[in-house]
Amino acid sequence: MIKSYKLQRTIADVVIYVILAVLGIIWVSPLVWLLLHSFRAEGGVTVPYVFPKQFTLDNYKALFQKNGVFDYPRWFLNTFVVAVFSCIISTLSILMVSYTFSRLRFKSRKMFINIGMVLGMFPGFMTMIALYYLLKAMNLTQTLPALVICYSAGSGLGFAISKGFFDTIPRALDEAATIDGATKNQIFWQIILPMSKPILVYTVLTSFIGPWCDFILVRIIMGDKRDNYTVAMGLQKMIDKEYTQVYFKQFLSGSVLVAIPITILFLRMQNYYVEGVTAGGVKG
Amino acid sequence: MTFIEYRSLTPAQRVKYKVTEFFSLLPGRLKVFFAAIGKFFKNIGIAFVEGLKGYGKRFAAGDMSTKLSYLVMGFGNFTRGQVGKGIAFLAVEIAYILFMWNFGLYYLNKFDTLGTQLAHQEMGANGRPYMVPGDNSMLILLYGTLAILITIVFVAIYVANTKSAYEAELNHKAGKKNLTLKEELADFLDGKYHVTLLSIPVLLISVFTILPLVFMILIAFTNYDRGHVPPGNLFTWVGLQTFRDVFKVSEGASKGYTFVELTKWTIVWAIFATFSNYIVGMVLALMINKKSIKFKALWRTLFVITIAVPQFVSLLLMRQILQVDGPLNVILGYLGHEPINFFNSTPLVARTAVIVVNMWVGVPYTILQTSGILMNIPEDLYESARIDGATPVVQFFQITLPYMLFVTTPYLIQTFVGNINNFNVIYLLTNGGPNKDANLYQAGQTDLLVTWLFKLTMDSNDYNTAAAVGILVFIVCATLSLITFNLSKSSRNEEEFS
Amino acid sequence: MRKTKRFCAIALAAMMTASAFAGCGPATQDPTTPQSGGETTTTSADDSGDPLGGEGANGTINLKVWGPEAVQDILKSECATFSENMKAYGDVQIEVVPQGEADSATAVLTDPSAAADVFGFACDNLDKLVTAGALYEVSGADKDFVTTNNSEASVNAATKDEKIWAYPETGDNSYILVYNKKYVSDDQAKTLEGVFEACKAANKKFVMDAGNGYYACTFMFTAGLKIEGLEKNADGDDVQKFSDYDEATVVKTMMAFSKLFTENKDIFLNGETTKVVDGFKSDTVAAGIDGSWNFANAKAALGDDAGFAVLPTVNVDGTATPLVNMFGYKLLGVNTSTQYPNTAIELAKFLSGEECQKERAEKLNWGPSNKVVAESDICKSDPALNAILAQQANSVPQVGVAPTFWSPVGTFGTKIVDPDNLLTEDAAKELIKTTIANVKDE
Repeated sequence: MIKSYKLQRTIADVVIYVILAVLGIIWVSPLVWLLLHSFRAEGGVTVPYVFPKQFTLDNYKALFQKNGVFDYPRWFLNTFVVAVFSCIISTLSILMVSYTFSRLRFKSRKMFINIGMVLGMFPGFMTMIALYYLLKAMNLTQTLPALVICYSAGSGLGFAISKGFFDTIPRALDEAATIDGATKNQIFWQIILPMSKPILVYTVLTSFIGPWCDFILVRIIMGDKRDNYTVAMGLQKMIDKEYTQVYFKQFLSGSVLVAIPITILFLRMQNYYVEGVTAGGVKG
Repeated sequence: MTFIEYRSLTPAQRVKYKVTEFFSLLPGRLKVFFAAIGKFFKNIGIAFVEGLKGYGKRFAAGDMSTKLSYLVMGFGNFTRGQVGKGIAFLAVEIAYILFMWNFGLYYLNKFDTLGTQLAHQEMGANGRPYMVPGDNSMLILLYGTLAILITIVFVAIYVANTKSAYEAELNHKAGKKNLTLKEELADFLDGKYHVTLLSIPVLLISVFTILPLVFMILIAFTNYDRGHVPPGNLFTWVGLQTFRDVFKVSEGASKGYTFVELTKWTIVWAIFATFSNYIVGMVLALMINKKSIKFKALWRTLFVITIAVPQFVSLLLMRQILQVDGPLNVILGYLGHEPINFFNSTPLVARTAVIVVNMWVGVPYTILQTSGILMNIPEDLYESARIDGATPVVQFFQITLPYMLFVTTPYLIQTFVGNINNFNVIYLLTNGGPNKDANLYQAGQTDLLVTWLFKLTMDSNDYNTAAAVGILVFIVCATLSLITFNLSKSSRNEEEFS
Repeated sequence: MRKTKRFCAIALAAMMTASAFAGCGPATQDPTTPQSGGETTTTSADDSGDPLGGEGANGTINLKVWGPEAVQDILKSECATFSENMKAYGDVQIEVVPQGEADSATAVLTDPSAAADVFGFACDNLDKLVTAGALYEVSGADKDFVTTNNSEASVNAATKDEKIWAYPETGDNSYILVYNKKYVSDDQAKTLEGVFEACKAANKKFVMDAGNGYYACTFMFTAGLKIEGLEKNADGDDVQKFSDYDEATVVKTMMAFSKLFTENKDIFLNGETTKVVDGFKSDTVAAGIDGSWNFANAKAALGDDAGFAVLPTVNVDGTATPLVNMFGYKLLGVNTSTQYPNTAIELAKFLSGEECQKERAEKLNWGPSNKVVAESDICKSDPALNAILAQQANSVPQVGVAPTFWSPVGTFGTKIVDPDNLLTEDAAKELIKTTIANVKDE
């Protein structure tokens, strides 16, 4: 009886291993394809076989030579700078808003929360043109600060998850500190923030990744100013009808170079991410 | 009903319970919701009337220097020892006047017509044309809205100024000393800390989110379409005409027909995309976290690595892989299968393909997000099920899934709303195609409302239709999420803190 | 009392915002003349013989030009020549910025004042640009210059409402049959049936982007259902005007296409044009319908085996009917937001003139719109240029195409080449009806 139970368990485990292995392969194989073909020497956009026949580093080298109108290193740097600044502003905004909504009590707080929740749900394409002309009125179009503003200005609306996290920190801490004479400002910086590493990392991570992924807003803001493109915009440009035949392999290698740092960052910070999102977001 | 009671029901009863619960509560929830919206506007109205009353009363009761504050902002505070505050009020007034004089008035003046002077060319003496400048309806609408919003803020500050002046006067008369600027600022780090923390985000959101939003909403009430593109044309207000067009379901191709068809598919998509990710992600999370399974980190990394690749890269990659001559079809060819044209044969194939690819993108998130909660399911529930001889599958459907549904309903609704607005997957994978329904207006059969909206703006320049559709989508999403959020446990429980 | 402090914070912030606007307000938004550039134009050009109309008198003239990436170097040297020519009249500084012709109209309409003074665009965007008031009309002597030097078709492509609005710079924005001579003989390339036959024999694919309105309109035009610019509908909006057509012929032709494509479904590959050259490189494609912008890539992939021919014929009830395509032109437009309209017009004339077109035909194989260059040896000796210029005779100019045209016509094409559904007579009739209604947004 016990033996058969054990056997059953072993069989179940084997089945699970097989499922995980098969699905795991399915999940990573597109990325492996991306990596392999970024070294492909022959062919254009598609080739009628799975594994490249010749490997070369030329696709990577070409990214770093200024060829034609594509200036990948510059775009990479632009994106990095924009990401750093918008990450700082976003993180501050999100933490400030979510802390206020979670731990401070004031009139019309509920109203603010409700408005904040729904504002982000408007499909934003129509607002792009309005954003453009607002930035133009401030003489900021075609500049990197404009991008920083676009990516971080609305970020305060993404307070839900970190508010959820702050909600889980016992209220008694605040009360004890208040009795000791701490102001709310001191409580925020000296007591709550040091306890919030997971949500801090989560917020930093998500807001840092944002600028690497946008390919719509940047097109309108930057117009013909190629020096100020971001990586996403540039990569998108490489596969335009006009360029794709020549630049597709560089698109692949460029994508790999974007993915590597973010992947490393993400894998290292994964545990914080899980902790933050579980505490704050998923549980109702 | 507590979870334990809920647990004792059979699966069929549970579904019935959930469904009846949802629909029996729905009218009530909607009522509460709209009552809350009504109350919201009522409160604004009351506050406005009260403010006006107080405004008049204070003018009548105040002394000379308070009365002067009605003209020169901050005067009352200035004369009662609140120098800093007085100067701040004055600065606001000056800034506002400068703004209106240089910028705002010009646009406000034309806001009712959105411009009357058409820019056009006239022939010059040298046989070459020159431009006679005219109005730009779009800029008038945008900057006019900006001027109105700034005016609203200014009026609020202005009324506060009169109130502050009057209070300073009363304090002064009562022999009390008014707070200095330093003391007031100190209060912003404690009693009014929420003001300090919220001010900058609220300002940024107002200018860069709310203002463009109001602009977009207003466009739905104009005739800003491809025949009325500035600067060579003017557009103007047309009331509800655009909404009538969207709802007009005529025979053959029409916006109304397209709207209905795309709404159907959007809902189907949102349901499948949400639940496929949810269930598959949860099962995988359970497998990875099973005690006897080794190499947990490896398995998790295999799945999670797709999150780290920027989405537009991974989606364009999938598009390439699923091409009719792409690698997946090459592999199918090795296996002796005909190539499948995933994106260009029948709508069913394309729709299935996008849902499957969406799983590839979304399941890793679910794995990360649910792992923690899955660990929290009380072990004794499983224990007793095992004693009853329940297989893992039965355990999943009788314990795990109901428990998770019970705990994560708000999260599911959020994901659902997110999927309604899931632009990237459709835009980058199929761009709406294929289209074998000739009756669709500027859309394909995998287009969601949100990608249709994008095409309407970018390709056919039907800005007003796009705005109207956007508003409709927004109303649905906002209602759904407000109701769920306000009735969710976290929202109801949070007041226990205070 | 309580609220006042909150307002202090907002007040300061509002002040900052307001001053940001106030700072730039008067410069760009003077209430009396909200758009700059209007007042500089009326100066007379004729008396002194100064082609720049005196614009050089007030210091440096700064112009921006948009052209596609491939032409950057040539464009730069051409602009330098122009500046050199104009030295006597003023200091002209020209910045050349890469911007593809397909997107340039969108970019101009997003913000005309940030766009180039002189920009290249595909002629199907002419309506959009003219309606939005973004182009200066070509008039007087400039008009004569355009009409005498360029082919009639290209001038038509720059015309709307009987006025000319732009300067034709190429006459090759279209697509023809490109094939691998190893598998398809020049004779087989003359008929669609022959092409399919050759592909079948070689077990290679034939590629066409039939779901894309730009290519799919071929089915429509070949059947005799053509477009003739725009007309006003009952609401006074511009809608597509279709030619009179004989329904029986159209249906017959559609069914002939449908039959051919269902019979050859194993050979036919419905996909983007990139698959043509890709397929040549990997030797999986024998022929395809591809645009002039990919000719150089096709030559690079196939070398001497690269074949170019006008679109083949299709057999409709025993008659070989030649395929009719959509033929576009690239035009140079002068932005109405420019500060220096006279100089910009001169530059557009120069860049679209004979010399520059000749240089681009030589160095880039761009088909000219200029009559003299089109007749020159440069074009006659190049098979690709020869074929595309010959295709012009069997084509509908890409002029007056409504923005609502592409998507329904793409659907039209998708249904014609649908491998599993042979089009019936009723289905064809229905398809014509709905497509036309959809294009007209009725």
